[in-house]
Amino acid sequence: MATFLLYESSSGFGLFEAHGLDEIGQNTEAVRSSISDLSRFGRVVQLTAFHPFESALDALNQVNAVSEGVMTDELRSFLELNLPKVKEGKKAKFSLGLAEPKLGSHIFEATKIPCQSNEFVLELLRGVRQHFDRFIKDLKPGDLEKSQLGLAHSYSRAKVKFNVNRVDNMVIQAIFLLDTLDKDINSFAMRVREWYSWHFPELVKIVNDNYLYARVSKMIDDKSKLTEEHIPMLTEVLGDEDKAKEVVEAGKASMGQDLSPVDLINVQTFAQRVMDLADYRKKLYDYLVAKMSDIAPNLAALIGEMVGARLISHAGSLTNLAKCPSSTLQILGAEKALFRALKTRGNTPKYGLIFHSSFIGRASAKNKGRIARYLANKCSIASRIDCFADGATTAFGEKLREQVEERLDFYDKGVAPRKNVDVMKEVIENLQNKGEEGEETVEAASAKKSKKKKAKGEEGEEEAMDEDKSEKKKKKEKRKMETADENEKSEKKKKKKSKAGGDEATDDGQSKKKKKKKSKSEDDDE
Amino acid sequence: MRPPLTGGRGGGGFSGGRGGGGYSGGRGASAGRGRGGGRSFGGDRGGRGGRGDRGRGRGGDRGRGRGGGGRGGMKGGSKVIVEPHRHAGVFIAKGKEDALVTKNLVPGEAVYNEKRISVQNEDGTKTEYRVWNPFRSKLAAAILGGVDNIWIKPGAKVLYLGAASGTTVSHVSDLVGPEGCVYAVEFSHRSGRDLVNMAKKRTNVIPIIEDARHPAKYRMLVGMVDVIFSDVAQPDQARILALNANFFLKSGGHFVISIKANCIDSTVPAEAVFQSEVKKLQQEQFKPAEQVTLEPFERDHACVVGSYRVPKKTKAATAA
Repeated sequence: MATFLLYESSSGFGLFEAHGLDEIGQNTEAVRSSISDLSRFGRVVQLTAFHPFESALDALNQVNAVSEGVMTDELRSFLELNLPKVKEGKKAKFSLGLAEPKLGSHIFEATKIPCQSNEFVLELLRGVRQHFDRFIKDLKPGDLEKSQLGLAHSYSRAKVKFNVNRVDNMVIQAIFLLDTLDKDINSFAMRVREWYSWHFPELVKIVNDNYLYARVSKMIDDKSKLTEEHIPMLTEVLGDEDKAKEVVEAGKASMGQDLSPVDLINVQTFAQRVMDLADYRKKLYDYLVAKMSDIAPNLAALIGEMVGARLISHAGSLTNLAKCPSSTLQILGAEKALFRALKTRGNTPKYGLIFHSSFIGRASAKNKGRIARYLANKCSIASRIDCFADGATTAFGEKLREQVEERLDFYDKGVAPRKNVDVMKEVIENLQNKGEEGEETVEAASAKKSKKKKAKGEEGEEEAMDEDKSEKKKKKEKRKMETADENEKSEKKKKKKSKAGGDEATDDGQSKKKKKKKSKSEDDDE
Repeated sequence: MRPPLTGGRGGGGFSGGRGGGGYSGGRGASAGRGRGGGRSFGGDRGGRGGRGDRGRGRGGDRGRGRGGGGRGGMKGGSKVIVEPHRHAGVFIAKGKEDALVTKNLVPGEAVYNEKRISVQNEDGTKTEYRVWNPFRSKLAAAILGGVDNIWIKPGAKVLYLGAASGTTVSHVSDLVGPEGCVYAVEFSHRSGRDLVNMAKKRTNVIPIIEDARHPAKYRMLVGMVDVIFSDVAQPDQARILALNANFFLKSGGHFVISIKANCIDSTVPAEAVFQSEVKKLQQEQFKPAEQVTLEPFERDHACVVGSYRVPKKTKAATAA
């Protein structure tokens, strides 16, 4: 049985035939030694055909297809032309060796050419790669590098140009800019206050807000010109007539020094700049909210636009965030604390960025960790819906938010939350009622839901069973179950590890210790 | 780290207050050796204390004579002489402070705003060198750390995994010269942008924006290479190296891998991580030959150098 090899080079496809290779004699060691020198390798492997690419564009199309594991028409005709014909209903008497199995399965499906890609083929292809320039007569030394250079440039440029996370990048940039702006506006506003206070030191005490201060200082200009006529205008800005009167009074009795008109103009210009920046920040925020409702509506509905955007920017993209396990999401932004804890074997942080959502602030101290875990679960589900569902809807995010609220109530007052299954059923029913256009979304999401149901269902049932019992008892039982679970797991782990080898025994001991610690701390909570 | 510097120079007056630039923190053995007393100081350093003047008086003239024309170089026009390093293609610029340099393939252009030194040759032509900062480049740090052989030499074909923005890649491209070739693989689009831009100017750099975990995706763009340099900082970097070597590294080729202990496991000591990584490499037909730490430049980093599928074994077998 003959073996052919397909070698994709940057200048064209090459087809090689390998003779004298016994199927049994596929001893890779022997192949390896014969590959290294051309005289031996050339006897074993011979060039059958070579198909050069017609143009740079053609080459780019081919390289894209090859890297995706797709067969192009050119490749198909090249193979069908140069390989022996396969008769209908008969098994082919040869096989085609390929570097990648994915491409192989494509070729087999389309042309019925049997393909293989294994270690042995890879070894042969290594040899072909090494001696390729000597197989093709027309190739001058350096030609191959030139074609590689040109092709790699166009390939990489296309890659850079086509970015999957295009929309996410806008959100990421916006949130970064928002943070920078907050910081800058604050320091600029402080500068305005400092500067204008030389002229009118009393104003700082009366007008506290930075933005209002800038506006008022712009309006007052020279404090000596401040009269009763200003009161309506000031009232309009400050929204409080008493304050406006106070400002005028203070202006009359101010102990600030007089500034020259040039100095005042400069203060004014700067105050205007600060106001403009503050206005721009508002606009940017609106932009961010709009963008978030575009790309991650559920996540935004669940945890808010700002925190949601921060999560996305920290993960790198929405896709990356969706790929995170929820335990990772929970401590996203607390990496420093996490790694410190891992190193010192201390307690790992309970929350990172999600701390900034209002939920965690509302939970009592001992429940903060639990609500963070729960919220992280919900966030990771929301981000997955946003990332992989087709239609945009906030229905899931809102319900998830309600669930977190219920969970908070449960920790506070012991009000039993609804079962997750029921909530999600409700959402899907609602969506289905909405009509046909939403159907795709539901289908896409429901697959996820069913998974989630499995995971969440246990917990929900467990809680439902315990509903009538007192809270404390419930907790205890839960804990028991958890510890039992843990023990089981650790036992399994132990078994695995003992198989793996002795040097990990110490590790195991440490993990046990950790668990002990954990259970202890749980006891302390009671 | 400072005492050998001042000792070598003779003029003790320079010991203070001149740690501003460069990498005075960690001069390796290679940079410290062979330095004469104060000869490389330019005469233009007036206004120092009396002791400093003494040092200048001793070596000033010589320095001026040799390093003539060192303009626009490090630290604004001090006289510099360039000597070849033990590794082919790498040079040491001996000025006020010693620096690792490579011969600029594209004279007149800096890639990342690094300093350039142009030196007049005996026949009147000028050669430009670019300063290679070991704090930014792990390969430079490994060279200063005293690695025995980097295998990357003029004319070599190098597969560079984890090219980032192409700062080190540009030096590697200087190193291999127009005869050699660098395949630079980088996954991130953001840094890939800079890499492609850099590669436009340097025709021996072949930029590939693709995941190094899947060498099959870029198999069309890469030929057989002599050396793989890997700086990917991933937990599975040994596997990534092995995959790429299986596709592209010729038998008897070499690898240089930089290992960041924290990226693999931050809970165990760095030494243990290096050991386990070396073990992983050995299982993948690699033969690690040496390991250096990049200590003053990077914390908990090691650079492992070795060879791949060494043919020696078969020779020994035939001989027996």
